[in-house]
Amino acid sequence: MTLREFLADGLERIMAWLICIVLSAMFLAATGTQTGVILILFIVLLLAFGIMELVCFVRQRIRLRELEAIMDQLDQKYLFAECVPGAKTLYERRLFELMHRAGRAMIGAVSDAQAAQREYREYVEGWVHEIKTPITAAGLICRNADNETRRRFMQELGQIEAYVERTLFYARAESPEKDFVIRQVQLSELAAEAIDRHRALLMQSGVRVETLGLERWVFTDDKWAVFILGQLLQNAARYRKRDPVVTLRADLVEKQVHLTVEDNGIGIPAHELSRVFDRGFTGSNGRSRGGSTGMGLYLCRRLADSLGLGLWLISEEGEGTAVTLVFPAKEKLTES
Amino acid sequence: MYKIMIIEDDPSTREELLLLLENEGYNPEAVADFEDVPEQAVRFAPDLILLDIGLPGRDGFSLCAALRKSVKASIIFVTSRDSGLDEVRALSLGGDDYITKPYSVPVLLARIKAVLRRGGGLEQQETLEAAGIRLNLTRGTVSAGDKTALLTRNELQILACLMGHAGEIVSRADLIEALWDSRIYIDDNTLTVNMTRLRGKLAELGQPDLIATRRGMGYQL
Repeated sequence: MTLREFLADGLERIMAWLICIVLSAMFLAATGTQTGVILILFIVLLLAFGIMELVCFVRQRIRLRELEAIMDQLDQKYLFAECVPGAKTLYERRLFELMHRAGRAMIGAVSDAQAAQREYREYVEGWVHEIKTPITAAGLICRNADNETRRRFMQELGQIEAYVERTLFYARAESPEKDFVIRQVQLSELAAEAIDRHRALLMQSGVRVETLGLERWVFTDDKWAVFILGQLLQNAARYRKRDPVVTLRADLVEKQVHLTVEDNGIGIPAHELSRVFDRGFTGSNGRSRGGSTGMGLYLCRRLADSLGLGLWLISEEGEGTAVTLVFPAKEKLTES
Repeated sequence: MYKIMIIEDDPSTREELLLLLENEGYNPEAVADFEDVPEQAVRFAPDLILLDIGLPGRDGFSLCAALRKSVKASIIFVTSRDSGLDEVRALSLGGDDYITKPYSVPVLLARIKAVLRRGGGLEQQETLEAAGIRLNLTRGTVSAGDKTALLTRNELQILACLMGHAGEIVSRADLIEALWDSRIYIDDNTLTVNMTRLRGKLAELGQPDLIATRRGMGYQL
């Protein structure tokens, strides 16, 4: 709040004062008081009034700064009304009371929403665990079928699994609770697990997977990392050209391990690159091929952010796409 | 014969696991009554236990602790719960391995083998013999008579798969699948290239026509 704003705000009051002073001066002049006396009185009144306004302004400004500082320190801004110091004036007290009521309603609504979200997430997780039992049984049963039937069956089951998995991780990514466990894992294990999960799709697409330098160890949650890798492999298989090859390569760059999943597929148009991690963005590739939900890379980004992994994508239309996951250096992990 | 105890509450998974393990040459037994699992385990005295976590009554975690006290078997957790926390808990309770559902059959069998091998006993097969050639899996060589040739990893796995099904027709898709199981992720073209090289090496050993091509069906040793 500046002085000017303060004065503009109190325009009515100031005008009333000035009119009073001028009227009194005119009255005194009319009743024959000396001009000098009127002038002195005029100046004294004006000065007293000015000082009063100034004190009022400074006081309000200090109070506002104090309240703003409290607000700035708050994590949950809606808890502001619970944290303000005692009211100084009657007017302030009544205002704070109103704020309290609004705040309480908000806190109730927020905790209800959080509880609902938690319950929903628990339900989804429970459901995912339940559905995995019949999927496992189906996989075991179709082992008895002839090889060709079994392969096609496994492809479909693999597809179901991929959808189920995505649901699970969507519930996890959207929920603020962080329930991952950071451990030391070898990249080759992560890669083998991710490839195995999507082997039906990869094999059916005729993809050759090459691995390079994956004997490095990183610190991460293996389940989450496998899911991210799985999404990238699925994309590579989906947006393939002839003779598809996917390369998983690890490099050490300034103590960080960079894991790159590179394909020789159809690539992404340059003008769409900035939006590929957006939720629900399918792009021209997704639209032309159908069946794209625009969730894969979005989930990758969400999960990578939670895990503290870097994630970036480069692509050239018609040439292929490379997505790099950056695992933090060990030193950095122990610091934080 | 290794005895494997299956503790799993889904009946169809249980039945199929029994069949699968029997076909693989194990002696499996499934628990159908979850009242006194540790006592049943003592009676059966298994070498390995496949333990589900979500069981009626007592969950797998507490069961694992009880089983650890009563029998000297390796324990593999097989569960649909896949949070890292569960895995850490399972392994800290004395589980030897942790497999999440849905698993693929080759992965399950491989992990069972690995745990049994760690537990002592199960010797790894070193050589395969079929159709007059001998394959050394650890050294990666194939020999016929007194001649020996060195194979690459891909060629070794292809030949091992064919020799494992000597006399049968093995389709290209089956071969690719077998290679993927061994973490060799090749495509159709690469298989053709490797097959040509493998045949060349066999020809050097004096066995040029060992692997027959069955048009439209696959290969046959």
